[in-house]
Amino acid sequence: MSRTPPPLPPVASATGLFLLSALAVLCACLSILGVKLSNAPLLPWQQLIPLGAYVAGVPMALLWLKLIGWKGDPGLVGAVFLLSGVGLVIQFRMGSFAQGLGNPVALAPFPLGLAAFLVGVTLTGKGRGAWLAKTGWLAYLAALAVFAAMLLLGRRYRGGLYLPGHMNPSEIVKPLLVLFLAAYLSMRQKAFSETQNGIPVPPIPALLGLVFLWGIPMLLTIALKDLGLMMLLNAILIVMLFAIARSTGYLALGLAAAAAAGFGVQFLSAHAQARFDVWLNPFTDPTGKGWQILQALAAMYSGGLWGAGLGSGVPQAVPIVSSDFVYAALAEEVGLIGCGLLLMVYAVLFSRGFRAAGAAKTPFERLLCVGLTGSLAVQTLLNVAGVTKALPMTGITLPFISHGGSSLITTLLVAGLLAGLSDRK
Amino acid sequence: MLEHLMELLNGEHGPDLLRGLKIAFLAFLAVASLAVLFAPSCKPGKVNYGLLRVIFTASLIAILCYQATWQLLGFTKPSFVKFMRRYNKRPNAAELQVTRGPILDCRGRILAAPVPGDLWGRRYPLGEAAVHPLGYFHATFGITAVERVSDPTLSGFAVEGGEDLLNKALFAPRKAEGDPVTLTLDARLQQRAYELLDGRKGAIVVLRPRSGALLALVSSPGFNPLDPASALADEENTPAFNRATQGRYPPGSTFKILIAGLALEKNLRPTFACPGMGYIAGPNTPPIRDSEYYAYARKGAVWPGWGQMDMKAAMTHSSNVYFAQLGVACGPEAFNDMMARAQINASLTYMKGAAGALESSRGNVPEISKKRTLAQLAIGQGEVLVTPLHVACFTAAVAADGKLMRPRLSRGEKPEELAQLFGAKTAEQLRTQLRDVVRFGTGKAANIADLEVCGKTGTAQAPAGDDHAWFTCFAPRRHPKLVVTVLIEHGGFGATAALPVARELLEEADRLGYVRRGEEAQP
Repeated sequence: MSRTPPPLPPVASATGLFLLSALAVLCACLSILGVKLSNAPLLPWQQLIPLGAYVAGVPMALLWLKLIGWKGDPGLVGAVFLLSGVGLVIQFRMGSFAQGLGNPVALAPFPLGLAAFLVGVTLTGKGRGAWLAKTGWLAYLAALAVFAAMLLLGRRYRGGLYLPGHMNPSEIVKPLLVLFLAAYLSMRQKAFSETQNGIPVPPIPALLGLVFLWGIPMLLTIALKDLGLMMLLNAILIVMLFAIARSTGYLALGLAAAAAAGFGVQFLSAHAQARFDVWLNPFTDPTGKGWQILQALAAMYSGGLWGAGLGSGVPQAVPIVSSDFVYAALAEEVGLIGCGLLLMVYAVLFSRGFRAAGAAKTPFERLLCVGLTGSLAVQTLLNVAGVTKALPMTGITLPFISHGGSSLITTLLVAGLLAGLSDRK
Repeated sequence: MLEHLMELLNGEHGPDLLRGLKIAFLAFLAVASLAVLFAPSCKPGKVNYGLLRVIFTASLIAILCYQATWQLLGFTKPSFVKFMRRYNKRPNAAELQVTRGPILDCRGRILAAPVPGDLWGRRYPLGEAAVHPLGYFHATFGITAVERVSDPTLSGFAVEGGEDLLNKALFAPRKAEGDPVTLTLDARLQQRAYELLDGRKGAIVVLRPRSGALLALVSSPGFNPLDPASALADEENTPAFNRATQGRYPPGSTFKILIAGLALEKNLRPTFACPGMGYIAGPNTPPIRDSEYYAYARKGAVWPGWGQMDMKAAMTHSSNVYFAQLGVACGPEAFNDMMARAQINASLTYMKGAAGALESSRGNVPEISKKRTLAQLAIGQGEVLVTPLHVACFTAAVAADGKLMRPRLSRGEKPEELAQLFGAKTAEQLRTQLRDVVRFGTGKAANIADLEVCGKTGTAQAPAGDDHAWFTCFAPRRHPKLVVTVLIEHGGFGATAALPVARELLEEADRLGYVRRGEEAQP
């Protein structure tokens, strides 16, 4: 018998983590309110609704977990609530909710996302996730349908494609394709595990099948001119192939392919080439193409180590800062220290996601868990690297934090699926 | 209650309150993050995806480190600082608050100073006299010359030393004082040199031969550094052009110093016949003649020539006929080698600032293969072009026992030897020859009592218009302390246009104590 006291039940641990997060969120809100109030005494109080939803909704979600007897990884859930709390705070600060009930579309995503989170947990919790493997082909067709809808109905806005109502359903494509890949690859584990001298050599029929099935969505991303999404999906594919074959050959292959694609794509698309050039030398056109990234870096610089304090910076100087460049706003106001803590929480989330994958019972669940975690991780990497100029900008949002309803709801759904998969009894 | 709250926030303790909330937020964020990190996790399963965990965690750490190079060390990137100074919209940004440091001369006199309360304000006591070395700092026309390359220092963002780097990385963005930059220039000498040019197009370089320190670097005409617009638009007089370092002129007879040095190094001391009709280097080439030929012709007389002549006499009288033959005798290989050592085809770096270097133009000497061109080039004509700074530097090498020193404008830079241009013995022989030029020859008018001036005149044919007038000299002969090089564009004869300027400047420098007293006390 172990002498250490029995650990807290997972839901209790998660609740404790949430309370700590809520305290941080409270301080942040007071700080932002202080600055806002000193500028304008008459605030539309309705803009606090999403924060209210956070304070009231998350405990209800935890209660739901308790009711269904969830026994997953509390750190994973704690990280999700901490990150989405920070996301709400920075969106509140950037004035995304400023119109209050006048713009309900801006207020709804977090409550809806919370619901999606619970749906996710319920779908995969208690080791029930295995049945999702049957929906693999359905998910594949649904993803293609979303692409088709985008092609037929989408309208361009700031280089991206949106459906009427400013929805960006391409977000949902990521988990759908991950689900498909998990189902498809887990059935062919043996084929894709074959290696010669460390180089993966799947049999030709299996390879051709995958190339064909994967090629269709890839061609559709090209038709949509969404190269960021294409990069992201391929990175997820590489991570999943690595996970199934457990051969580092796939990772090396993936890195080489990414480098070649990154180099080659600039010859194919003027848009991509412009982004590549700006990345290499933003100072050749500082007031034009280099403006956004240089303003983002200037925001970081003015934040310094400790940050200006939430509400006290001038992140509005960075164009479209609340979505793709939200990390620059955070860097300015919470400093390098705050950024370091946030990235640590992200790292913990991914780490625990992969850990949960390792502990899953069926190969399908394992792959699903790796793919979903990988999709969040790759998105985070590409976004943060883009904003800090470590890599060219790809137009990918920062999970949990960027402005954008479809992004937040999808991210929370994925987080819910992960939380469910971490509970394997 | 809301009013009360507003009062509190806008009152005395408002900032403290916000600071307290900022600290509390970071503290709670840290506690929550660490709690997430150490929260109990599910038991590890059969399969271990450790590699994926390591890869993603390491990538995030790498990105954070890269972010720090902007967030904490952005001030080490000059183009980034420049961008922020122009386009940062943050009203309290540190780089907008900095009081720009002053630029000082070698005796601590102000060459450029900030105007309190005016971000782009700048005061230049010497005005147009020193605008070329100092440059300007202008909101519309940008930053040039020393103001540009020393910008990080003047803005307080320059970094020297590791400990300082850490300190500045964490705290410097809040710094509001720029650092001073001290130059080797002497404000009075610079001013006097500019006045002596009196609006004529030309350039003056005054430097210390053994250290390369530039005491004056003048280009005329100058312009008001607070108003570069009209200067940049003036295409006739091109006042914005720095003739001392960027202007390229045929060196004329000043080039004979290098040819004589080359021959002496090869132990050649030939005597040549120098007939009045000149020297014909090859078939179908016009004869190279001495200037006396033309002087006689103008009077309707015939120049009889120097007859048999040795090097010393040829230098004293600046005989083209002799030096053309001497150049040919030295041969192309030795000539090319000398040109390379004298950095004629290279640009001379005369200032290394925190944000880059200031460089002269490259001179131009073609690779020699044919006899004809070498004869022309040996007398500083034909395709050869140099900047006044190049001429001052090889003159200084004669004064400094053959050592070619890098010219330098910043007092903080150490003297740097670029090449051993000649041996010490050759340099001594050249000094005697150049002393004779001033005692008996073309440079007689520069013979200041007991100053032992050594020098060489030059009258270089320009592609159009009057000849360019050169005089390059140093003093005193035994322990040279000062080099003065004067160029007057289309000034005519070196001896009548450039030489008087150099003489007056030498006298002024002597009054200021730069010629007779020791060099040690000064840059």
